[in-house]
Amino acid sequence: MTTERIDSFALDLVEGLRRRLDAVLVGQEQAKLAVLIGVLAREHVLLEGAPGCGKSLLAEAGLGAMGADVHLCSFHRDTRREDLLGEVNLHRRVHGNSERLSFDLEPGRMLKAQLVVLDNLGRAPGEALAPLLQLLGSRVVDLGRGGMMRLPLETAVATMALPGGEVGHEGVAVDPLEPSQLDRFALQVRMEGLVTARRWGLCRAVLDSSLERAEPGVRLAELNAAERLRLQDWVTRIPYPEDVQASVRETVLALAARVRAATRGGDGRALLSDRVFGAVLPKVLRAHAAVRGAAVVGVEDLRVLRVMVAQRLPQGLLDVLEEVLHEAIAVPSPESMSTSEEGDQGLPMTADGANEQVMTDALPGQVPGAPTTEAELPEAPALPPRRRKPRPADVEPLIKAFEGRLDRGRSDLDDDPGGQPRGFRPLRRFDELIDADPLDALLLVDGTLAGPPRVLRRRRRTLGGAVVIARDVSSSMAGFRNDWASELICGLVRAAARRRMRVGYLEFHQRAIPRILGGRLLHRRYEQLNQLVREARPMGQTNYEAPLRMALDALRGRRGANRHVVMLTDGLPILGDTQVRAERALAKKLGVSLHTVFVGDGASPPVLDSISHETSGLRFQAIERSGSLVLSERGALPGAPGAPGAPGSPGDVAEATMVAAPA
Amino acid sequence: MTAEPVAEQPSTPLAGLARLLDQHVVAHDDVKEALLLALVCREHIYIEGPPGTAKTRLAEIVASGCGLEFFFYQLHRDTRLAELVGDIVLERRPIEQAPEELLAGPGGAPAPDAGPSDAKPPAAEAPGASIGERIHQRIEPGGLLVAEICVLDDISRAPGEALNVLLRLLNERRFGSDEIPLLTAIATGNPMDDEYYNEPLDPANLDRFALQLRVRGLIHDGGEAARELIDRFASGDVEERPEPSAVIDREDLDRAYDELSNVEVPDGVRAGLLEVLRTLVTDEECDESNSLLTDRSFLVKAVKLIRGRALLRGRRSATAEDLDVLLWMSTFRVPEEVAARMGEIVARVQAKVGSG
Repeated sequence: MTTERIDSFALDLVEGLRRRLDAVLVGQEQAKLAVLIGVLAREHVLLEGAPGCGKSLLAEAGLGAMGADVHLCSFHRDTRREDLLGEVNLHRRVHGNSERLSFDLEPGRMLKAQLVVLDNLGRAPGEALAPLLQLLGSRVVDLGRGGMMRLPLETAVATMALPGGEVGHEGVAVDPLEPSQLDRFALQVRMEGLVTARRWGLCRAVLDSSLERAEPGVRLAELNAAERLRLQDWVTRIPYPEDVQASVRETVLALAARVRAATRGGDGRALLSDRVFGAVLPKVLRAHAAVRGAAVVGVEDLRVLRVMVAQRLPQGLLDVLEEVLHEAIAVPSPESMSTSEEGDQGLPMTADGANEQVMTDALPGQVPGAPTTEAELPEAPALPPRRRKPRPADVEPLIKAFEGRLDRGRSDLDDDPGGQPRGFRPLRRFDELIDADPLDALLLVDGTLAGPPRVLRRRRRTLGGAVVIARDVSSSMAGFRNDWASELICGLVRAAARRRMRVGYLEFHQRAIPRILGGRLLHRRYEQLNQLVREARPMGQTNYEAPLRMALDALRGRRGANRHVVMLTDGLPILGDTQVRAERALAKKLGVSLHTVFVGDGASPPVLDSISHETSGLRFQAIERSGSLVLSERGALPGAPGAPGAPGSPGDVAEATMVAAPA
Repeated sequence: MTAEPVAEQPSTPLAGLARLLDQHVVAHDDVKEALLLALVCREHIYIEGPPGTAKTRLAEIVASGCGLEFFFYQLHRDTRLAELVGDIVLERRPIEQAPEELLAGPGGAPAPDAGPSDAKPPAAEAPGASIGERIHQRIEPGGLLVAEICVLDDISRAPGEALNVLLRLLNERRFGSDEIPLLTAIATGNPMDDEYYNEPLDPANLDRFALQLRVRGLIHDGGEAARELIDRFASGDVEERPEPSAVIDREDLDRAYDELSNVEVPDGVRAGLLEVLRTLVTDEECDESNSLLTDRSFLVKAVKLIRGRALLRGRRSATAEDLDVLLWMSTFRVPEEVAARMGEIVARVQAKVGSG
């Protein structure tokens, strides 16, 4: 029969491609599956993960085997719209005294390619990406002056560092994609490095393969253009039986219901769009069947959902997907496991022994989609286990609130000549001409530009910042209050360390005593500082002025936002200016936030409230309850409409809770 | 680590360059060897240390000592793309287009941006008054795009965003889809806990530098090397910044690189490498949130560097001793406390591999 012959021919091709990807990259089965499905179903793929886990390698080598023009675009800070789309033709028309300018686009290579690698997407400013991401969706480009062009684009594979500053020692300068842009990528996979995922068997396989010299004799399967098109066409015609359609529908709806329930009506973070989960899903299911080696779509092809949700479901909801899949797909028999699972079986690069090792090494932090059919997974499978050092629960609220403040400071965009171009502004100094809009620059040279040319406005997120912690060590702080304070300060230092902010630490009673490390008050010696914090010995009386002055002096002259002072005290100031007027004014001038924590049962000194209120700082009070300290945020000042710059401050609520809370 | 200094083995590749380094710079044996290793393996190297500790000097000597196309660039806060990859050229070319075509636009549709000023009938326009122009911005390759060896001085002074363009240049050695001739990039930086205007490299950029070292001042540390340094300049006949001439050439480097793949890495050494990684991940709790134990560096490049170290010592087979390269790979990739213990960790594994 002809159809059978085509089937086996197509399945052989798919199998060849699988092998090809296996030869390129050891492990990372989900990512390979996504790339393969992306090409077969003509959908876009997003690969995200830590540096050096093979994202770019897979994207480039994977698409390179598909018998098409592959265009590679590597994004960086100064990627311009023209680099992506093509050259701009300018038309000038003179009517008497006026001149009219119009543009059209001369399509660049990306618009003519069938397969595209978007390397390090997110390193370019979002503004440059907007037109690109739009045409990924529509596959049509407006050439200007009324011309439209349909793109030959089939599949784009984008790679991206993990957004958010959690990775590595420092945040990655990445613009997270907007939900509408993320939805262009039907397939989305989060990759984890083999070393950090502790997949030692695969690690060994990579080591061994990196020692082999590439043998020039071995040619791996590569498609030609006709084969690719035929394959894609065949995939669209894979039968999709009605009963399977029904279970797919119910599964998708069940998933949506669980997600709704888990996010309490949806907080907008879960993104199960109609386009992808309605229109695109059948194509992707067919492609998954093809990769699985089946000529008919089955319920087990729903496993493809695992490579569609990396950015669509919050990490905590990945186990919800596993539950839904488990219910939809009847417990598979061992045979169907081995054929349908995209596990580590059948890797040509992996020796059998290594395979066993992988299976026995299975860890909670394993990549999602590695064979897990248990209904109750203890945690989201994609997350590596986060170790959190045990910390007394009572300092937690302050640390959390403080971290919120640190991150808010970080996300401020400041003008900085080294930052990403974000919009335009008029030229102010002539040396900015290098960043001028090319057209404006030309007109300027021609002498036909009225006014200054526009230049790129460069902005960047503030990195770093500094925290100075001032700790009351007057004699009343002795005993368990002192231990509690140490615990709290160590927590603050850890919060700062995670953001690589500089920290300073000083102790005060009647005088302020700077605790210098490495010759400086502000430094990044977090571990040493934590040692120092635990050695504090209370004595003497309280003075607010001296410590605040010292802290502010240390922060003075430092550029940028995100500068904080945390003052921890249990007493009323007796010495110095008890109202610290000069210091409050200086803090406001410098833009430093003063956060205060008062330890004690009595009324918190009003001056502390004023200090924090005026500088948008946090105000906390710790009250003794049955031998330990209970921490709560202090409410807004009477008559003050909440601290400026702190909308939604939970102050009042927190205080109410505190009063109502049983001892 | 310097039991058998590279310079004293004339038969090994790059021995000439090693001698040149010794001639010009006192001590810093580990940095010197790491630089040679980077050259042999065609890897990039990052050296961090306080000012005046011969970081840039060493890089310069290596660069001029191997007679390659060389690019030196001092990074700064306002580093622009053009300064790294060549000049940006703005080209304007007239396009030939008939006036009526211009007006009608392709397909006969009115131009989309037609405004009220365009209400004038076409006939009113003087013939020949229309000009079409193509404005094209391109890069005339220079700087990093044409260099075989480059020194990126004070890399930590440039904001992370400005360095994004390096990612692909350094790793795939491509710019767009064009290959570039770059072999080795040597970057220097100032310590992060100091008062300099600088910021740490972002993890992706940091991982491009397979070798990472920290240098300290000889005089600050005192000791024999400091004496030698002071004495050397005291005599007065030593030029402070001589310009050495090339002692090796591209062919020497190519030969060494070819030989690299002939160096054997026995099973025990591979197992040792994995054992070190396992210790870091399991016992020292290194993970994605605090470390940069990437597959690329520790599974692929580590093997290359192990081979390179063996080759530099004139061996055709790697030994457990060559696992020392892991010390130079982990300096800034694991938390500081762990980095301080790396010596012990590696030594323990070496002892195990050696005895087993």
